[in-house]
This record gives sequence, C-alpha cells and structure tokens, in this order.
Amino acid sequence: MEIIVFGVISGCIILFGALGFSMTLKAEGFINVAHGQMLLLGAYLAFLFSSFGLPMVVATMLVMLCCGVCGVAIYRYLYRPVKSRGILVLLFTSVGVAYAINGIVGAVAGKRVLAYDLPPVRAMRLDGVPIMTVYELMIIGFALIAAIAIHVFLTSTWVGKSIRAVADNYDLARVRGFDPGHTSDYVWFIASALAGVAGVFSGIIGSLHLGMGWQQIIIILAATVLGGLGSIYGVMLASLLLGIGMELGIMVLPSNYRTGVAFLIIIAILFLRPEGLQSLWSPRTGARH
Amino acid sequence: MLEVRDIHRSFGGVKAVDGVSLDVDAGRIVGLIGTNGAGKTTLFNVISGYLGADAGSVRFEGAAILGEKPHRVARRGMVRTFQTPVGFPRMTVLENMLVFLREHDTTIAPALFRRSVAGSISQAEAARAEEILRAFGLAAKRDIWVQDLGAPELKMLEFARTVMSDPKMLLLDEPAAGVNLALLDSLVETIFRLRDSGVTFLIVDHNLGFICRICDFIYAMADGRVISQGGPDEVVNNPAVIECYIGSASGSR
Amino acid sequence: MESILLFVVGILSIGAIYSILCLALNLEAGIDGLWDLGIVSFFGIGAYTYVLLTAPAAENHQHYLLGLGLPIWVGLAAAGLMGGVAALLIGVPSLRLKREYFLITTLAFAEVIRQIYANELWLTNGVAGIYGLNPPFSESLPPNARQVVIFALLSVAVAVTYLIVRSLCVSPFGRALKALRENEALAMTAGINPFAHHIRAFALAGALSGVAGAFYVWYNTLIIPGQFVADVTFFVWTALIIGGIGNNTGALVGGILFVLLHDALRFLPLSNDMAEVVSSVRTALVGVILILVLRWRPEGLLCERPARVRVRQG
Repeated sequence: MEIIVFGVISGCIILFGALGFSMTLKAEGFINVAHGQMLLLGAYLAFLFSSFGLPMVVATMLVMLCCGVCGVAIYRYLYRPVKSRGILVLLFTSVGVAYAINGIVGAVAGKRVLAYDLPPVRAMRLDGVPIMTVYELMIIGFALIAAIAIHVFLTSTWVGKSIRAVADNYDLARVRGFDPGHTSDYVWFIASALAGVAGVFSGIIGSLHLGMGWQQIIIILAATVLGGLGSIYGVMLASLLLGIGMELGIMVLPSNYRTGVAFLIIIAILFLRPEGLQSLWSPRTGARH
Repeated sequence: MLEVRDIHRSFGGVKAVDGVSLDVDAGRIVGLIGTNGAGKTTLFNVISGYLGADAGSVRFEGAAILGEKPHRVARRGMVRTFQTPVGFPRMTVLENMLVFLREHDTTIAPALFRRSVAGSISQAEAARAEEILRAFGLAAKRDIWVQDLGAPELKMLEFARTVMSDPKMLLLDEPAAGVNLALLDSLVETIFRLRDSGVTFLIVDHNLGFICRICDFIYAMADGRVISQGGPDEVVNNPAVIECYIGSASGSR
Repeated sequence: MESILLFVVGILSIGAIYSILCLALNLEAGIDGLWDLGIVSFFGIGAYTYVLLTAPAAENHQHYLLGLGLPIWVGLAAAGLMGGVAALLIGVPSLRLKREYFLITTLAFAEVIRQIYANELWLTNGVAGIYGLNPPFSESLPPNARQVVIFALLSVAVAVTYLIVRSLCVSPFGRALKALRENEALAMTAGINPFAHHIRAFALAGALSGVAGAFYVWYNTLIIPGQFVADVTFFVWTALIIGGIGNNTGALVGGILFVLLHDALRFLPLSNDMAEVVSSVRTALVGVILILVLRWRPEGLLCERPARVRVRQG
C-alpha cells in the first residue's frame, strides 16, 4: 500500500516535469534535454530563496516565475534562431543549454548534497496506518490542480486553443489569426514553470544534488514515450503509471535499477508500440509528433 | 514485361486505388494519365515497392514483386524517378551518378581490402558518367554539390542518373513538369533513344501533349480506377476522359 | 619540466582515444546520418571485455567474472569484437525505428548497460570498479616511459582508425551511406538496401568504439561504471560538431581539441573547493561552446567538402 502511495506521489512529480516537456515537444518538435536542468534550477533557486527567509510557498511561486522567464528567454535567444537548422541542431543546442545550466548551478552552489530547511512533520494517519506527510498530500493536490488547469487552459482559453492550433498546423494557425510567436512564449513559460515546480517538489521529497536533473529527464523521457510523444493527456496518465511502476519494479529488481526500469520501459514501448498510450484514444495515424 | 493485376489500396477510409490492372510490354512506352487524386502516384508507389497493396499482384519479367522493398525492385532493373527531384544534395554531381552504378560493390570488404580499386573509379566508368552528363548539359558541374544546382539542372540530373543506372524499365514520375519547351524536345528524343536501346517505359504526367507525343499506349485513371485505355487518339477522345479533365479544369483543385 | 611533458602526453592520449571515438561516430552519424546517442555503450562494453579477459583472476575484495589473464592483443581484438556484436544486437531491432525513436532507444540502451555494470557485482565488481590493471609493458618499462609508449601506440591506433574510416568513405560503401543520409527514397531506387548498410556502419562504429574502450583501460589502469555515463556520448558529439561533422580530419582534430579545451585546466594546482568550481565552470563552458558552434558554425572547424573521385589510370 505504501508503495502505491509513494508511486502516486513520485508519479505526480514526474507529471509536472513530463507535462512541460511534452508541451515543448509537441509545439516545437524537438527533445529538449535541458528541461531536466530547468528542474535542477528550480530546486536550487527555491533553496536560495528560502535561505533568504522566504516561506516555501512564496519561494515556489518565485521559482515558477523565474523558471518561466528563463525558459522563454532560452527559447527566444537560443532555440528559435536555430530552428531552421533542424531537430538535431536543436537537440544539441539543448544539450549545450543543459550543460551550461548544470555548470552554473554547480559553480555557485557546489557539489554538496543540499536539503530544504523544512519543519519535519509526521505522516498523517488513516485508521492508524501512516500514509503520507502533509507535504506529499500538497504535491498530489497541486498535481491534480495542475492537470485540471492545463486541460481547461488548452481547451477553453484563447491562448490554449492557439497552442493546440499551432502545434497541429503552423501555417493554418497563422492564417486563422493565431500568432505562433506569442503562442510559443506561453508554451515555454508554462513548461519551464512546471519544470521548476517539479524540481522544488523533488527536493522536498528527496534532496538536492547536481545529478537530479539528468536523473529526472530520463524518467520524464520514459513517461513521454509511454504516453505517446506529444500527447498531453497520455503523458499525464503515463506519469502516474510510471511512478507506480517504478516503485513496484524495485520490489523485484535491486533498487539501483530504478531508473533502469524507466529505460527498459522506453525500449519496450518503442519496440512494441511506438505510439505509446496515445494509441488508446487516438486511432488516427499518430505519425505526426 | 510488367503485369499489374487488380491492385487495391486504401488509406484510412479512402480508396486510392480501386482494382487497377495494366500491362506494359517490353520495349513499349506506356502512359498513365489522370487528374490529381486519381491514384496515379499511389499506383506508382505500389509498383515500385514504396507502398504495399491491400490486394492484387505485380509481376515484373514474370516474377511476383508486390511486397518487395524498393531496393530489391530496383535491383531487378526497374528504376523510378521522383516528381520534384532533389538528388543527393551534399554529394557532387559525379557522386550522384556513381551511386547509380550497378556494378559497384557496396559492402565493406572491398572498401578495406581492395582499397585502391574501391577508392577510385575506372576510366571507363568516368568516361561513361561524363558522356551522360554532357548529354544533359551537366558536365561542367561535375564536382559541385547538387544542393548548389538550380531546379532545371536538378531535373536534368534526375534523367542523367536514370540513364546511368542502365535499367530494364523506367517509371517516370511527371518528367515534363517544370521543363521548358526546348528541353522537352531533347527529353522526348532521349526517351526515344533509350527505348530504341531496349528500355521500357511507364510514364505518369499531366502534360497531355507530351504523353500523346511519345506513348504507344495510354491508361487513363479517375477515382482509383482505369476509365479508359488504348492508343493516344482513342483515349484522348474518350468521353469519360474528356469529362474528367474538363470537369477538373473548371472545378477547383 | 618532466611533469609538464607527462601531463601533455596524458592529455594527448585521452585526445587520441576521443579521436577514435569521433571517427567512429563520424562514420555512423556524419557519413551515414544515424542519430546515435549511445556510443558510450560500445566504449564501455569494449573496456569491460578487455578487462574481464586480460586481468588476472579476481582476488581479495574484488569479484568479477573471468579474469583469464589473456595477452593484450587478444583483449584488444575481443574488445572490438564485443563492441561490434553488441552493436549488432542493439542495431537490429533499433534501426527499424524512425530517427527520433532510434535516438531515444540508443540513449536508453546506453544507460541500461551502465546500470548493469553498476549493479551486477558478480560480473564487474559493481560500482567499486576494478583496480590495479596493468597497461602494456608495465614490467619492462618505468612508469614515465610507459606513458609515452602508450601514447605512441595510441597515435598508431588513431592513424589506423583514420585510414579505415577514410577508405570506407571513398569507397562505394561510403557513397551508399552518404546517399542514404541525403535521400533515402532515392538511394533505394539505386538499389541500396538501407538496413543492410546502416547495420554495417553501426556495427563497425561499435567495434571501433570497443577498441577505444580497451585503450581507455590502458590509460586509466582501472575501470568503474561511472566512466561510462551519457556525458561521454555527448562529449564525443560535441567534439565531432566542433571539429566538423562529416569530415574525417575534422573528427580527428575535434577529438584532440575538445580534450585540450576540457582538460587543460586540470594542470592548475587548486584547492579542493576551487577545483570543484572549476570543474563546474568547465561543464558550463562545454555547454556554451556547443551552443555557439551550433549557432554560428554548425558545420564545424573543418567542414565537409565536395568529394573528388579519383580515376584509376590504365
């Protein structure tokens, strides 16, 4: 039972990261490796802010803002100029961005493992059985809110619809009045903000270390592949399944294989059913991604 | 030489090719006409191996080739062109030609163990390539990357490389598209010359004048079916064919 | 003076190993256009194969498989062979995937394989690694001379690799690879079988990377799973991009240049804290250079140029 709970919690964290990753994948068509480092940045920025005395909630809000802005800036000044050169160039530019962020954070914060200064809480109990701490409950709550909010955003708001339109057909979207430029800004802001939040939550559950970005991007990649590259809803489902799956997997395999399980899942899906979970509700050819 | 029987091919719910049969006898120039969406390109792709078919059969020189991968079909001697040729952009014009040399062994062993032979071409091969390039006006561009060529030159290169490949049968996809009148004449001449040296042709094109000029036999397609077949005069004057073309000329496509 | 010389020899040795990896990557990615993010897989497999065959039987606290103490040349050959075999095994199912999926799959395999090194203690002694591995000539030469001899051997290896890759490039095989890279549909109507050619290039690159892995063990005299992280793959790609993707000389130069840029700062004597900062700055620098090169000169230092085909006389 604990395993399921922890699986759901870690699934929620994966969801924050994978959601943003999937959004930029669908909108821009390339794999943004630096997304994992945006997570790292968020986690360490929150540490910085809370060390100034800000309460965690405020710090998290600030992190969302900062990461969002960073994300947009990186997109505008680093990715967009090379967009015409193809996916591989974009991919490796994002590798460069990833190394740059990791290096800067490392240079400033050092290589020691850090942790947030949070008051320790006891796990809440249900029928006398400890289930989860209030922080973990918050994470699940936020994930739920975020999932619903994103869904509403994409389907109901003007900006959300324009994101979907642009992702589906860039030229047609322009003709119908959506501005792809601004749309992209929104996408990157939201995606990066979500990544920052994922980093903060990841730090709350665990600790802060320089390798957390790379660790998470692997898992995020697995969730995205499992959910179907570019399928937002598939990714949400896949994140939860993956979180639970990884915890269950450790029961069978040694715990060091935790991320290995994620990779094996990636390989299995790609060999057997490349469209991932998306194929469940999208019978039309999902070759476009 | 080529026997196509009852090909069916759908995409999603749309029937692109609905029971098409055609024959191309050795040494003939056969044309395939039809408006956009008639299924010509799909049929072409099925015959040359780029697409599978839901039903039907394709026999080339007696062998059943439906379902074979494109490279295997090409190795049998059936070579195709592409509508908007781009060639191999970051390779020289000469290299583009050499890729189509049938005799070259593209395995690793000769590359490593017979380096002097594998790393160069014989004078005969070089001469043949140059001769063909000269015929298509590309001799001067021999060592230039194809991505630096203009559109008409790309078109000429597309023909040049098909000649280089010494095919038994050529499937030409819109060869007259984008070709000016003067070049069109020399193109016709080249096709006739190749036919005389034993090459069989199946040609898809929109340019009715061009098709009628060179083809012995024409198939007309509409909505995935063959609506008329016969000699040029016969097909062009067929009421169903006329309706299709006039219908599509006045309608929007 | 001697220490500076040894340092330079050391850096050039690593540079040579990277050059071999770059040449291998250039073959499969520059000439053939495969988006392979898993070269470190074969690098590591070659290294571990070499160790498991040439190291003495496991003793003391170290546990690992085999340890046959075979001669070095057997080890090298086996490293290359296993690298190639692993590439075949991974390539056969993976090469039928679309490019983006192939990319992710190769990355995934590399990480899974690394975790196997780390977790399967009976095989590799796990995270602790295997130490005390003697490079060639360790009995007959003093340590300093040994370094220089290893460097000499590595230089020969780089030259041989260059020769191999270059011969492949100017041959019909190389042209077929380039054709597939440029326009697969057109290459097919020229009779070129995509899978057959891709798997050959992939396997060959795997074999070359495997041998490079064995050389890496020579240099380090130890082997730990942490040496085979995805960073290596990204660094080799970076080196190739800087040097000039598609150009063999560019690959060679890129490998050496990258190592020079990356490791030159190691020479400075620094306090532990400063060293940490410098290492992070180095990482950031790699990132920045990669971004800049891709933006302003994506074709690299020595870009790919139109090939001149040689005509045999007589």
